[in-house]
Amino acid sequence: MANPYFPKLVTIEKITIENEARDLKTFRLAFCNRDDKKSFKYECGQFAMLSVPGAGESPIGIASSPLDEQYLEFTVKCYPTGVVTTALHNLEEGARIGVRGPYGNSFPLKELERKNVLIVGGGFAFTTLRSTIRYMLNEKSRARFENITVIYGARSPGELIYKPELKEWEERDEIEMYVTVDRGDEDWKGREGFVPAVLQEIAPSSENAIVLVCGPPIMLKFTMLPLLDLGFSPDRIITSLERRMSCGIGKCGRCNIGTMYVCKDGPVLSYKQIQELSEEIF
Amino acid sequence: MLQGLIKKEDLKKLIASVKKEGTFYGLIRGSEGLSLSELGPDDEVTLDYSNFKMPPKRQFFPFSEVICTYEDESMTDLPLSEEKAVIFGVRPCDALSLLYLDKIFIDEKFTDPYYRSRRDNSLIISLACREPLKTCFCTSVGASPAGKKGADILAFEVKDSLLFEACSEKGTRFMENYPAIFKKPGKADIKARDEEVSAAEKRVQTIDLSGITEKLQGCFDSPLWEEISQRCLGCGVCTYTCPTCHCFGLYDEKVELKGRRIRVQDSCMFPSFTLEASGHNPRTSNEERMRQRIMHKFRYTVENFEDIFCVGCGRCISNCPVNMDIRETLAEVIK
Ligand SMILES: Cc1cc2nc3c(=O)[nH]c(=O)nc-3n(C[C@H](O)[C@H](O)[C@H](O)COP(=O)(O)OP(=O)(O)OC[C@H]3O[C@@H](n4cnc5c(N)ncnc54)[C@H](O)[C@@H]3O)c2cc1C
Ligand code: SF4
Ligand code: SF4
Ligand code: FES
Repeated sequence: MANPYFPKLVTIEKITIENEARDLKTFRLAFCNRDDKKSFKYECGQFAMLSVPGAGESPIGIASSPLDEQYLEFTVKCYPTGVVTTALHNLEEGARIGVRGPYGNSFPLKELERKNVLIVGGGFAFTTLRSTIRYMLNEKSRARFENITVIYGARSPGELIYKPELKEWEERDEIEMYVTVDRGDEDWKGREGFVPAVLQEIAPSSENAIVLVCGPPIMLKFTMLPLLDLGFSPDRIITSLERRMSCGIGKCGRCNIGTMYVCKDGPVLSYKQIQELSEEIF
Repeated sequence: MLQGLIKKEDLKKLIASVKKEGTFYGLIRGSEGLSLSELGPDDEVTLDYSNFKMPPKRQFFPFSEVICTYEDESMTDLPLSEEKAVIFGVRPCDALSLLYLDKIFIDEKFTDPYYRSRRDNSLIISLACREPLKTCFCTSVGASPAGKKGADILAFEVKDSLLFEACSEKGTRFMENYPAIFKKPGKADIKARDEEVSAAEKRVQTIDLSGITEKLQGCFDSPLWEEISQRCLGCGVCTYTCPTCHCFGLYDEKVELKGRRIRVQDSCMFPSFTLEASGHNPRTSNEERMRQRIMHKFRYTVENFEDIFCVGCGRCISNCPVNMDIRETLAEVIK
């Protein structure tokens, strides 16, 4: 009987510090065992449990794209009181940790085909959206999607993550990028303003379009109204939920909301599904 | 249906025979009251009880268990238990609870191997109830003093004997294994059993739960939860002693480079259950947690599995330090 709680061994190949506060790091992982690599088939929007022996496990969204065949990436925020995230941030390249998954559902990429795709992200919740953008921009898949528009915001320029990639995307024709910060500094020449305001200003068309939106609860709360105003119906607004987790496989009960377990029935949900829950989500 | 009569004093023989292949668990009165314990042929099997404190889920889903160990950077998962076990004396309500736990721990996509192996290797002999407690309400939630669901064998006390009735193939095979121990029951034995059963059924108090799920669907935001939860201390005893509560957490313990990952039962009645690293907590108040516990058992599981995850054992009532009574809570909801 396969043991679903038992992690697969991986090596940390590369660590990238993503922000000025140095509390966001991207871990590039490689499976130590070939079969494990083969059996780890994931889709954009899914997450995995990162396991640091001695500290425990944390659910983290997969930040690389399924078409990145050579590696697996996760971007992790370190919380000062967080046991696992602190332990992870203390590790160095070459260290070994565990991964189990992939878990949860994924962004409905099939439904996005032949449609305009709007991506709205805030803060470090941009990780699985980055996976999706990388996937869509891949030459193998780009033709399946119409216009791709990205609005991404962070508190300050130093807090924007994946900076080299953002720059690369800004230079490409197949994607329209709007990067914004809440407050700029003297070197910042880009856009300033909160994500919902920028969204209203750009006013992307909702025609034949679906929006994927991830961010802190407060951003989500203030983004829904402008999206509805733009004509996105609740079933075409797709987001990803976060709940404290332990097992990741629908057993421990921790992530339960109504009849749903975020770890197996989510984390990806439409705004329509969220409205139907009794609990207020954001 | 295979039936067999065994003299109470001959239970020792059965225990001795079972011991050759596995472990026989039955009830012993110890310093902490009655509990399921490993029995030897010389132990006195207790039959004189209404129910015991810790539900039988503990046999399959222990309070805590190690699921893997690690040293340096390598991890090893713990081998599954291969112990063959006969569990004797479980009450029918508790036997039913195991079928509910199965729905959680055993499913197509992910099966909990620790739970599963113990379930597969165990045989459940339930003992029909003669003296329901004041806190029992099994017949209102699909269980009953002589309910067979979840049992491999259902045993009845008939005077100085026990009447065993196989309720599953596993139970039939077990009884067939010990032809020398079981006698064929007579008509008088069956009659005595029937009388006991209907007397016990009549003694169970009932509550009216009709429409409970629909009511719960409509009262998520009701002020009722505040009222109901006022007395609750949030101690979690109701969930630890409930035979169907199955929430847990996985934690690491480490000394130097050696350590282990442990699965520990947890409770939705604790604020830490849902507390996230950022400090955000979707269920901050006692009121929300009480609502979650009731909603989960009487609404969400009904919508997901068509079963109320309560077997009416009354443990949450008798163990609550402030005498919260789930029957009153449910009555408030229905009102
Ligand atoms: C589907 C999903 C995807 C996520 N993706 C990312 C990501 O890409 N990057 C990132 O930095 N963070 C992500 N998180 C949040 C991340 O899981 C928590 O920040 C992290 O578990 C905190 O762990 P800790 O041990 O440092 O904190 P502690 O407070 O010590 O928490 C102890 C344990 O509680 C659980 N836990 C605590 N907070 C959370 C939480 N917010 N969500 C889930 N479990 C929690 C974990 O099992 C954790 O090990 C995601 C959460 C979910 C549910
Ligand atoms: S046992 Fe009683 S006091 Fe303790 S959490 Fe349950 S209802 Fe509250
Ligand atoms: S909720 Fe209470 S009465 Fe129902 S099964 Fe659990 S402990 Fe027993
Ligand atoms: S994390 Fe355990 S049920 Fe979802």
